Amino acid sequence: MLKVIGKNELGKLLEKLNDKFRIIAPVIRQYGKKERVEYHQVEDFDEIFLDRQPDTPPKKFFLPQNERLGEEKSGEQVFETGDRKTLIFGVRSCDLKAIDILKPVFLDNDFTDTYFEKRLENTVMFGLGCSKRQENCFCDSLGIDPLDAENIPVYMYDDGERLWFDVRAGELEEFFADLPDGNSEELERLKKDWQSGFEDTKIGIEVPIPFPELVAFNAPFWKEVAANCLGCGVCTYYCPTCFCFGFFWEKREEEIDKWRTWDSCMFPLFTKHGSGHNPRETQDQRTRQRIMHKFSYHPHNFEGVPACSACGRCISQCPVNIDLRVILKTAEKHLKDEEGVKSGG
Amino acid sequence: MVDKYLLPHRGEIIKVTQETGSNLNIKTFRIRLLDEEVRKKFKFLPGQFVELTVFGLGEAPFGFASSPTEEDYFDISIKETGLVTEAIHNMREGDQIGVRGPYGNNFPFEEVKGKNLVFLAGGIGLAPLRSLINYVLDDKNRDQYGRVQMLLAFRSPEDMLYKYDFSSWENSPNTMVKYTIDEECEGWVHCVGYPHELLNEELDLNQPDTVYFTCGPPIMIRFITEELKNSGIHPADIITTLEMKMSCGLGKCGRCNIGRYYVCKDGPVFDLKQLEQMPAEF
Repeated sequence: MLKVIGKNELGKLLEKLNDKFRIIAPVIRQYGKKERVEYHQVEDFDEIFLDRQPDTPPKKFFLPQNERLGEEKSGEQVFETGDRKTLIFGVRSCDLKAIDILKPVFLDNDFTDTYFEKRLENTVMFGLGCSKRQENCFCDSLGIDPLDAENIPVYMYDDGERLWFDVRAGELEEFFADLPDGNSEELERLKKDWQSGFEDTKIGIEVPIPFPELVAFNAPFWKEVAANCLGCGVCTYYCPTCFCFGFFWEKREEEIDKWRTWDSCMFPLFTKHGSGHNPRETQDQRTRQRIMHKFSYHPHNFEGVPACSACGRCISQCPVNIDLRVILKTAEKHLKDEEGVKSGG
Repeated sequence: MVDKYLLPHRGEIIKVTQETGSNLNIKTFRIRLLDEEVRKKFKFLPGQFVELTVFGLGEAPFGFASSPTEEDYFDISIKETGLVTEAIHNMREGDQIGVRGPYGNNFPFEEVKGKNLVFLAGGIGLAPLRSLINYVLDDKNRDQYGRVQMLLAFRSPEDMLYKYDFSSWENSPNTMVKYTIDEECEGWVHCVGYPHELLNEELDLNQPDTVYFTCGPPIMIRFITEELKNSGIHPADIITTLEMKMSCGLGKCGRCNIGRYYVCKDGPVFDLKQLEQMPAEF
């Protein structure tokens, strides 16, 4: 069912949904003079801000930055899921795709990550189409549709004045039944307009995925593309698909809690052995690992899907302006040249 | 597989053996899981590893050093190198330790039945091989394998470990054990020199149907595998075990990722043919 409301009527709809769901949505938060758009639980629905891509992805609601796993001596696991289901409102196609990328990693048959699984089962997401390209994104270059996504109960569009709801899940129809119907032809026209905006700004990355492992690993360009890298790890902390983690321990009285925390392949200690030996000793090796993992190793293991949803946050947030699109273009050129040499062309 | 996922079971240290002199502090800890149900289900294979937890401090991966034919407990040999290993070294019989695992693949002990085996170990690299050696030389299994040759390398006589095993290994049928140290010293009657320099001299590398298992410092593995290849051994018949900073043990946390492999899940045992196809990052 297709429904459409004025944006000022959104509050009424969310009030109804709020009975059943804990609502998470993008809001503006002030940090000193800096304004950031982030996903938070909202009670005041006027706060919701949908005008641009949030600065941080919704990954933390599935894989929290710090997560208490349980008490270590008793082996008792802790699951903090709350009384209501979670609704994450206004998730763009890149971030929806990112959660899809994480699923086979944490739900694999050998070791299902119960913590991730329970959060996933407890969460629904409403998608949100992008009416224009965001700051540094290139989702259309990786085959992600900025105006649609699969397996999403509700996908929304914001035309500036109104919010459109493409309601696909029967169990959610009750919340939308009273709302005015949308004209699907009108929406198609709007989508076409927005689509042409994406076409005009398309980068067209045609890098082969997965990168051929050894050829790409041994390519000469890594030192150059990583030369400015500080190893700060900001790219990994803003990334909607990075999932490396570590553990830490916290003592309470007699008990000891084991926690899981995000970690980063950009940090030298990440791989350093007790003996002092470090398989990824230099920063360019670590930058190479991050990119190779996303575009070679991960797609090799997971049906050709890269561990990147092209949201562009790593580009926006990098303090030394390292641009993933430039790295991919460099890799594209190198790998095509190599292929040319091999085939004698 | 018993696995509470990310949280450890409780084990008790039932025996501590000081292996080496003070210059290279290696101890072997015999650990028994406390819960009977867990203990029964805990089945490991040679080549696999566990994560040991010092409660409240941290955990670290260690290869099994005993054979699964010894049920009820397992041995882990630990060199004191960092916070966790230091804390374990301070533990005594009766102390409790967290145990997560077993993790990883194993030495192909089934696949190599009927073949001749050569073990090439350096220092504490003998620990994971001891699990396989004791499995193969176990009375119940010995007749399923061919000739066994070993070249065990240590820095000095002070640095030898498992000395208490040597006579039973030497006396095992169709088995030859050689020892070497880096530099000549008084009273030493065995070989002297780095193991890769002694391979052709001290071992019979010309026998067919032979599989080579090597473990030791990375530099030793490199020289040995090169030497073996130069002697015409097929890379698929050279097997080693990789050490990375495995943390979760489940192929997720990312530390042990090399190319498409996660050493904790797809390894730690690899043959040289596989290693040659992997990014050289170990």
